[in-house]
Amino acid sequence: MASYILKRVLQAIPLLLIISFIVFSLIHLAPYDVIDSITTPNMSNDQVALLREKYGLNDPFIVQYVKWLSQMLHGDFGYSLINQHSITSELAVRLPNTIRLVLPAYITALFLAITFGLTASANKGKFLDRAVDAIASIGIAVPTFWLAMILIYQFGYRLNLFPIIGMHTIGKENELADFLAHFTLPYITLTVAFFPELTRYIRASANEQITEDYVTVQSAFQATRWEIFSRHISRNILIPIVTQIGLALPMLVTGAIITESIFSWPGVGPYLLSATKSLDYPVIMTLLLLSATLVILGNLLSDVLYAIVDPRIRRGGKAS
Amino acid sequence: MKKLKYGAVTLLFATAGLFLAACSTSSSPNKATTSKTETTKDASSFTYAISGNPASLNPINTSDRWGLTVTNMIYSPLVAIETDGTQKNILADSIEAAKDGLSVTVKLKQTIKWSDGEKLTADDVVFTYTQKAKKENGNADKLWIGGKPITIQKVDDYTVKFSLPEPSAAAVNNIATETFIIPKHIYKDVADFSVKELPVAPVGTGPYKLKTYKTGEYLAFEANKTYFGGTPAIKNVTLRIIESNDTAKVALQKGEVDAAVVLPSAISDLDSHDITVYPYSETRVGYLGLNTKSDALTNVKVRQAVLYALDKSELNQAAYLNKKYYSTPNSFLPPSNPFATESVNTYKTNAQKSKTLLAEAGVSDLKLNIGFSATDPAQTVQATLIQQQLKKAGITVTLEGGDGTAIFSELKKPGSTKYNLFLGGYIMGNDPDLYAALFKTGGSSNYFQTNNAKTDQLFDKAAVETDPTKRKALYDQLQKEVADDARIYPIVDNKKILAVNNRIANVKKANLVPIYTFEDLSKLTIK
Repeated sequence: MASYILKRVLQAIPLLLIISFIVFSLIHLAPYDVIDSITTPNMSNDQVALLREKYGLNDPFIVQYVKWLSQMLHGDFGYSLINQHSITSELAVRLPNTIRLVLPAYITALFLAITFGLTASANKGKFLDRAVDAIASIGIAVPTFWLAMILIYQFGYRLNLFPIIGMHTIGKENELADFLAHFTLPYITLTVAFFPELTRYIRASANEQITEDYVTVQSAFQATRWEIFSRHISRNILIPIVTQIGLALPMLVTGAIITESIFSWPGVGPYLLSATKSLDYPVIMTLLLLSATLVILGNLLSDVLYAIVDPRIRRGGKAS
Repeated sequence: MKKLKYGAVTLLFATAGLFLAACSTSSSPNKATTSKTETTKDASSFTYAISGNPASLNPINTSDRWGLTVTNMIYSPLVAIETDGTQKNILADSIEAAKDGLSVTVKLKQTIKWSDGEKLTADDVVFTYTQKAKKENGNADKLWIGGKPITIQKVDDYTVKFSLPEPSAAAVNNIATETFIIPKHIYKDVADFSVKELPVAPVGTGPYKLKTYKTGEYLAFEANKTYFGGTPAIKNVTLRIIESNDTAKVALQKGEVDAAVVLPSAISDLDSHDITVYPYSETRVGYLGLNTKSDALTNVKVRQAVLYALDKSELNQAAYLNKKYYSTPNSFLPPSNPFATESVNTYKTNAQKSKTLLAEAGVSDLKLNIGFSATDPAQTVQATLIQQQLKKAGITVTLEGGDGTAIFSELKKPGSTKYNLFLGGYIMGNDPDLYAALFKTGGSSNYFQTNNAKTDQLFDKAAVETDPTKRKALYDQLQKEVADDARIYPIVDNKKILAVNNRIANVKKANLVPIYTFEDLSKLTIK
């Protein structure tokens, strides 16, 4: 197992290099650069040229890339070109904030999805199934930003139940109740954003299991539907669920960009958005590499969890 | 192995269950959370929503809106310029330009203290300007004339003298304003002033002191008790960063913030019992630019034909809804500028004249494109209207909405012909010489790509003319020439609209000014 994991990790390195090169090229192909985004009509050409020189933007593309890469390999993510803040220290604050929001929402969504998905599948073709399907369809169709604005308007403004900006009231940084009040609306928004697709996925997986032979056998043995679902099907759909969990890993970084921006949640989302608008390339590159790494790790995690969940895979054919 | 499997699965579900338990407490409306707005209704604090992080908090080189807003709260300039162009002494007691236009002498007020209790002296002023005039610190433009820097020397403890390399009429304006004086005794050991944040806690002469800055969240300030304008009435000020316009509006409506900038279209949603709107001019000029290098527009008659086909008042009514929220410029200077003149050709709508001019130029079936920022609602409306208005004169326009930065990066390229027409805006400042960057041949922001010897000469002459009357006459002529050249069609001086919660009083006294929002925040009070 350990050697397998190591092999997979080593395989990921060239992939990350290629990804970084592609993203760097794309940023370079953009019709303007970070200096253009901060240039005002009052700035003289001299001053603009001076800034370009200072940030090494006059170097050839490859030189810029190699410089950035070697810095990266020394474990230095560099600084934002806009406000010169260290990206590492910025992420040290923002990443936990994002995880604090995305993780509970994702886990809630997963539980809702398992409940709804299995319920729908157990009542295939009946009213409950159609209802779940309708809810999931509506959920998929509702844009996150719109839902967020509706929640802000109804619960934040009209009913005045919750604050709508940031993560804390200033001066109450350590109060749990204050945090939860700020947390509620973005959390609901994200949960609603995550759960419909998961629901459909689980419903489809369970429907697939129902057609399997073992279900027919169990039915023949007079097992109740509840027994079949709770003891057999639910265990078998763990595999697709585990896949989903692995694939969801990068969401911990980029899972809430829109929601965070709307609620001014001090996470990775607003940081990446404003960096992208101004082509602040060190920030964009760092975040994209981070999420690419998580995609690769997520896939690896899926495979490892598979083996843990499913004895057939774990024993790799050693079973008789 | 079997044990491992059950262990892992149980663990997975157990942790998930824990999380769920933690979450379920929050998804039911919690009684303890109804503290919502009481905290912001705090009688000692004022919260203003800003749309992004300050790009630089270093007073030597800051040039972005929020960076300047913050700097203006912590530090003070020698002189402030009012919206109507008059000067107001802040740290300066008097300011005098020599007759020959080669030097400016500034006397300082003698009672001003830094927030750490030290006295402000000429040394601080000399120190500040010496750092600012260094090109490598990134904000020296206004302190250089004809490729040489302005030098500064101390005359006595409260007098400094600026020496100019060549005569300049704009010097007083350019030297004394927008440079925020920093204390030498605090910053003398700083090695590098080109950074965006100085490595020492700020000490200033402004009404507020910076307490904490959390990037992406807020900047918190407290009153500076030693402020020379009197101790500020409001003890704490918070600039809260809210990037989404819509969120800022709702936060204002529910009282989570006390003030925010809003668009004209949002005003009807605001309850006038709770919120008052204050429109104020930012001396901005929003304009339609004509690329004089692009094939279709090289002939001045064709350019004039385009302008005669346009209807300015329709463009503004559509984009800004109400005359309260904009004024209409005639020339390239904003209407409130003391040098602005009305005796220029304003191209009053005349479709017949437009057609005649096109016929004279021998052009038929003219096809143009227009570049504008697709994310800017006002520009989008105006571009669409321009398309319709020009259609009446038989000119076909294709809309090329895009990213504003990308469009202007393209326009800055010498010889670029990608766009015939483009929508833009500038806030250049008070002295008309500052506008040379836009209208002089080779100017750093000459997006129109004009190469006009006549207007170049006028700019050069007016820059060194120290007699105010003669200087005004030169600029009158200059504005007329630029209008006749039909390179720019000034559309609007659209006002910024600050919406403020009614519990905050004396907004007018704090004086709303371009860029900084409040000239002097210490004047605000809470009812």
